[in-house]
Amino acid sequence: MNPIKNMLVMVELESRRIRHDRTEIYTRAVQPVLWLVIFGPVMGALRAIPTGGIAYTDFITPGVLVQSMSFVSIFFGLTMVWERESGILKKLLVTPAPRYSIVVGRSMSSGVRSVFQALIIIPVALLIGVRIVPNPLYFIGVLAVLFVSSGGFAATSILIASLMKSRERFMGIGQAIIMPLFFASNALYPIEMMPPILKALSSVNPMTYIVDAVRSLLITGDLAQLPLDLAAIAIFDVAMFIIASASFKRIIE
Amino acid sequence: MEGLRLSLGGAAGGAHLKNISCHAFSTLMEFAVDARGIVKVYEKTSRALDGVDLQVRPGKVFALLGPNGSGKTTLMRILTTQLPPTEGHADVMGHDTVRESGAIRGLVGYVPQEMSVWTDLSGYENMLIYAKIYGIPSEARRRLIDDSLEGIGLSDAKDRLVRSYSGGMIRRLEIATALLISPKILFLDEPTIGLDPVARKAVWDKLTSFKKDFGTTVFFNTHYMDEADLYADEIGIISRGRIITTGTVAELKRSVGGEVLVLETESNGVDAATLEMVRGVASVRDVALGESELAVIADDAETALPGVMRILGNSGAMVRKVSMSAPTLDDVFLKYAGTRLESGGRLSDVSRVRKTIRRGG
Ligand SMILES: Nc1ncnc2c1ncn2[C@@H]1O[C@H](COP(=O)(O)OP(=O)(O)OP(=O)(O)O)[C@@H](O)[C@H]1O
Ligand SMILES: [Mg+2]
Repeated sequence: MNPIKNMLVMVELESRRIRHDRTEIYTRAVQPVLWLVIFGPVMGALRAIPTGGIAYTDFITPGVLVQSMSFVSIFFGLTMVWERESGILKKLLVTPAPRYSIVVGRSMSSGVRSVFQALIIIPVALLIGVRIVPNPLYFIGVLAVLFVSSGGFAATSILIASLMKSRERFMGIGQAIIMPLFFASNALYPIEMMPPILKALSSVNPMTYIVDAVRSLLITGDLAQLPLDLAAIAIFDVAMFIIASASFKRIIE
Repeated sequence: MEGLRLSLGGAAGGAHLKNISCHAFSTLMEFAVDARGIVKVYEKTSRALDGVDLQVRPGKVFALLGPNGSGKTTLMRILTTQLPPTEGHADVMGHDTVRESGAIRGLVGYVPQEMSVWTDLSGYENMLIYAKIYGIPSEARRRLIDDSLEGIGLSDAKDRLVRSYSGGMIRRLEIATALLISPKILFLDEPTIGLDPVARKAVWDKLTSFKKDFGTTVFFNTHYMDEADLYADEIGIISRGRIITTGTVAELKRSVGGEVLVLETESNGVDAATLEMVRGVASVRDVALGESELAVIADDAETALPGVMRILGNSGAMVRKVSMSAPTLDDVFLKYAGTRLESGGRLSDVSRVRKTIRRGG
């Protein structure tokens, strides 16, 4: 069995689940929408943050999208924990699908949820006056970046899940990982504003590159940094896929 | 069906060759399952399996019978290549479970103990996803799934979310999924746990007819005595991570002896010396002491009873009730494992399964 085909089946599985039940996508959209509708305009009115001529809400829209994507993907790992407690994972392990393809396939399928999520948030952003690059190719690029990055975060959460024994602990850890990454990135303020330590941290923070890629495709249209961003995202994904696949043994026992 | 299976092999590419060679192999193969000295230690301390030796011949229905926590699931997970054994090795359909796990996974159907379907998909979609994972070609897929659903009586419910299924329907769906690839060997971990008698029978009717059509080897775990009694050709009894005895139902019952006298006594009223004396009564073949009962196996229970009662009376043990019967598997179990099997009620199973299903929904 072809591993790529296998991963596509996992993506199909997730799409079908979403088709039957979209409540989670709506409830998870509440928080990012609040960032856009309340935090953006209020901070923007202060004019405290130099965004290079972009309206503040426009500036943080990519950050909010990426944050929501990372939450969706991190909590997707929870599905794996549930599947371990049920028999689903056991049954998957006894199919001819190679183990790494289960890990990578399940990770990538979180991208389906992330993209759906983005398709709810972006219209809200448009509604409150955020101006995006009017080029369908760029827009597809945004969704592709979100989809692909989602896999890295989902793999991270599978890795955490393999270290955790209970779901309750997992919830706390999920929060504890995303919020620091979010604040130590260029999601809410430009890197130039940061103190040196934070600057150094943000340069090894995958979120920085993802936000930058989404920002260039969605808001600024300036693609100079895009190749670097995409390279960083690819490294993040591949590294997390490898580590998560290696730690997968622990989930099974 | 045969033509379809050939085309499956073709679609799976490399699996084609393997299937053929395995087919040739299976006629020579002595055992469908051959486990030698399997030890499994979880987290460096918990010894779930303690040296399991077990052979199952191809085409048989084998029941692994044992109480909760005896290691049934652990053994099955090792045989289905999910876990490596800590020590020892096992062959399934002639392939080593560690080195040739890929070959085994293409041949086995498996139903885990816990619920293994996506409750937020329909029954049809659940089977569709697995059909795709197994690489069943799209032309054959729809027919195959529809036929399987028809065969287990889920046609009418196939487009409903599994969340709305009963426990019996879920179990039948899982079994249909496991049969999708016409496996050479079927592993079922407590296939009817928590089901009512009607649903249990429906599940077994399906399994029996499939077995008849395909000659598949069936390996199932259970702690329901009657199920092993009714459906298994051979039985292995497992207790605390060891296989205590194996044989056909008839052999095992014969090994217990002619008739069984069960005397319910006050707990710890019977000491070792008394036990020895009971053993000496004419026609008594064996004695086994349970928690609050004494089982006396005798060629002629009616002759033995007065002597046994006298000895117990002299030793001061209170006998509350006496019953007499032909040996059951439970007596077999008591003889070999020193405890009764069916102690925990089925109610707890039911609520356990229900809980699992609810969590899924
Ligand atoms: N993943 C695990 N980690 C640690 N210990 C485990 C694990 N799985 C099982 N055990 C332990 O190993 C022993 C055997 O468990 P196993 O599940 O194989 O028994 P079982 O016969 O299937 O029982 P049941 O009838 O309850 O399903 C038990 O003591 C159990 O607590
Ligand atoms: Mg078990």
